[in-house]
Amino acid sequence: MKALLERAVELMTQAGAAYGDIRVREDRRENLAVKNGRPEHIAKGESAGFGVRVIMDGAWGFFGTHRLEESAVEHVVNEAVAIARASARLLDEPVVLAPVDPTVNRYETPHEKPPFEIPLEEKIEVLVSASKAMKGANVKLAQAFFAAYETHQHFASTEGARIEQHIVQTGGGIAATAIRDGDLQVRSYPNSFRGNFATGGYEYVEAMELVDEAPRVAEEAEALLAAPLCPEGRRTVILDGGQLALQVHESCGHPIELDRVLGMEIAYAGDSFLTLDKLGSFRYGSEKVNIVADATCSGGLGTFGYDDEGVPAQRTPIVEAGRFVGYLSSRETAPAIGRTSSGAMRASGWNRIPLIRMTNVNLLPGDAGTLDDLLADTDAGLLMLTNKSWSIDNKRLNFQFGTEMCREIKGGRLGQVYRNATYTGITPQFWGSCDAVCGHEAWQLWGTPNCGKGQPGQTARVGHGVAPARFRNVQVGVKA
Amino acid sequence: MNPAGREKRLLQIGRKVVETSTADETEVLLSEGREFLTRFSRNRIHQNVGTEEVWAVVRLVKGKRVGVAAASSLAAEALETAVASALAIAEASEPDTKWPGLPKPRPVEAVEVYDAETAEASADARADFAAEIVAAATKKRAEAAGIVETAESSLAIVSSAGVAVASSSTHAEANTVVTCGDGSGYAEGLGTRLASLSGRRIGRRAALEASISRNPRPLDAGRYDVVLEPAAVGEWLQFLAYTALSGKDFEDGSSPLSGRLGEKVTGEQVTILDNALDRRTIPQGFDYEGMPKKRLSLIDRGVAKAVGTNHYRARRLGKRTSTGSALPASSSAECLPLHLFLKGGTSSARQLVGEMKRGLLITRFHYTNILDPMKTVLTGMTRDGTFLVENGRVVHPVRNLRYTENVLEALGRIDGMSRKLTLVAGPCVVPTVRIKGVQFTGTTEF
Repeated sequence: MKALLERAVELMTQAGAAYGDIRVREDRRENLAVKNGRPEHIAKGESAGFGVRVIMDGAWGFFGTHRLEESAVEHVVNEAVAIARASARLLDEPVVLAPVDPTVNRYETPHEKPPFEIPLEEKIEVLVSASKAMKGANVKLAQAFFAAYETHQHFASTEGARIEQHIVQTGGGIAATAIRDGDLQVRSYPNSFRGNFATGGYEYVEAMELVDEAPRVAEEAEALLAAPLCPEGRRTVILDGGQLALQVHESCGHPIELDRVLGMEIAYAGDSFLTLDKLGSFRYGSEKVNIVADATCSGGLGTFGYDDEGVPAQRTPIVEAGRFVGYLSSRETAPAIGRTSSGAMRASGWNRIPLIRMTNVNLLPGDAGTLDDLLADTDAGLLMLTNKSWSIDNKRLNFQFGTEMCREIKGGRLGQVYRNATYTGITPQFWGSCDAVCGHEAWQLWGTPNCGKGQPGQTARVGHGVAPARFRNVQVGVKA
Repeated sequence: MNPAGREKRLLQIGRKVVETSTADETEVLLSEGREFLTRFSRNRIHQNVGTEEVWAVVRLVKGKRVGVAAASSLAAEALETAVASALAIAEASEPDTKWPGLPKPRPVEAVEVYDAETAEASADARADFAAEIVAAATKKRAEAAGIVETAESSLAIVSSAGVAVASSSTHAEANTVVTCGDGSGYAEGLGTRLASLSGRRIGRRAALEASISRNPRPLDAGRYDVVLEPAAVGEWLQFLAYTALSGKDFEDGSSPLSGRLGEKVTGEQVTILDNALDRRTIPQGFDYEGMPKKRLSLIDRGVAKAVGTNHYRARRLGKRTSTGSALPASSSAECLPLHLFLKGGTSSARQLVGEMKRGLLITRFHYTNILDPMKTVLTGMTRDGTFLVENGRVVHPVRNLRYTENVLEALGRIDGMSRKLTLVAGPCVVPTVRIKGVQFTGTTEF
């Protein structure tokens, strides 16, 4: 491995690259899905290869191969160089990278129980038990999921960085789908779309106690079938952690990506309303809103030691008392704001270039206590629970979310269950209406394992720490 | 590149895996290819990548227990590891008493989808193509962003049931978003040959649209008649397939068509097909189980006719053979029709707009997502050119709008379609359509 890395660096230097790096990466994944008490889809996958990125004539080129052998290095470097030279045919200014101290180091995700070493039978048994415990006359699909991902990566740059990382990510969850008379209602735990995820080992899934939660999940799916539609209107809304995590993801995490701001993603996922002129002065939200991008927090799905440019993991202020103060950035984009990289460049595999990705974009805890405290402090409103649907415009302003479940709040107490609840808004207005964020005791990390970006497409696993929060005068439902 | 030689090699590797496997049944899918993508924004290339990749998916059955494992290598040791992993999974699993066995071989149609020139397209050729798009944008004092992509690959599927098929294909795709002040426009092209696409044409179309979409005016949400251009139609069609046309969801009861085959589910003007053999799409001769692709009527004049199946779902639904809609065994989604067609009408796109009293002309949608799968309720935004039409004329651009709409119902309100069909990303082959009273539920600031 070391010889392959050093040969690539030598060849990139010989070719005259202003900068070059190589990532040798091996990935393992395991996906288990159980439906109605029996395994439905169990699959494992391995992927290994390396990718070389160079700056030649001021422009980028990248080439990757599955051929994890020293004899392939020259071919791969030559391809990357030829691609970079072609890039230079359509270039205005040469790429300039923000400086970083070249590091020689190793990082490993702290974990107790390596998820791939837990016997398959043991993992399947938990899922089967949880699935069987979700019972109901109309519960047609009782599903349980487990997934684990493991990455070994070696990074070397022409600047002298040599970094080895071992990242372990684990997650799972359950979902009950009740179907009757053309209606379908889903209730999930601990989060929708296959559960919750974190960096860590199998101990993370064990702590979920999926089997114990299963009966409640099934009961709530049944209850939703019988529940009335959520009425339309302007309401006070409290978002639970799972929903709020995705709200942060879509309306804060993506618009603070500096490559989007600079137009690099405009043809695909779009750009951002958080233009450069807003940095430091724009009122993103109320004074209750404090957000950081933190790749260092323990257990976050977006936690690592170094990004894929060799920049150390960091905690970057994004919103301070409602004021917009920072972006997620890379070595190439950071000079546009006169800063160094925030260490957010990650690739989904050896065959993809690193892009600016969310780390753990966290809404910091406030002073509103527990969720029960916040409910008690709310005279009238709605509690929205667990994401079901999401959509947001290409500058990240107009959003609409649907949640699995909604509860009426009256006089500080929970009441009527509603189904098919949605809410919509414009990002800075919505965050400006936040008048309470629960405290440390209610703060939790959520993993978003399916964040799509880039062309060719990449899926990143990112995190969001949040505590439930309250928003005033929110448009709930759609005006027909 | 010698695609025939590579197909032969992949088949040999596949046969060896099958012959040496100790499972009751073995299926192996092998793929090898190269993909290049040049990405530009603000009139310059900012990302430019290439990869060479192989992919192997092994599906084993032992005592009616199924295991699947994937690898990114065709080396003997890597495939042995994949076989061992799949076997371990099968042994840890439970028998599926309804397992029908792997599908037996059936004749597949050869499709000509390999273009040597596209396979060998250089980074310089892609840069030149991007430069043509950029040149068209700069003529309008605008900025272009987008992609130029070329790819080539071979795919082989071999199984212990006797399946042994292989094919090779090329793919070329380019698109751009051109921005001109606060206006933006979009155009795309795709096919199996890079030479069939024109950077100048794509660039000019998007640049023109960008220039006329400047200074968009706010418009209240509400119900509007719409003319949807092909990219917007294609997006709805793909989401409709995803929510309604999978045999797995159909059997689970979570498809809006579950138990409704033979019933009218939308308007008579709606006929949706899956046809991977039609040269107007990106043709494909067989699915990921090696079963033949065929012309499949999904919705015929508003009546639900079929859903896409793999062999397993077909048997569970009482059919002898699948519809040729299998996805790779590594996908938990199992099956989906992937080459959709919406039958067109008799108008031209110009006529559809010209006959509209008041409504919207929409280029494409952004971030569509499902709100209610059983009712096919989708939500999403318009982007890159939304225009108000009055008395048959485009009067001015409008700011983007959010729609929240039951798509099967909306398609039932189509009152005009173009005769011309266009291949758009998906791939989908669709007309421009005009729909009465689409529900827009929100506005934005641009």
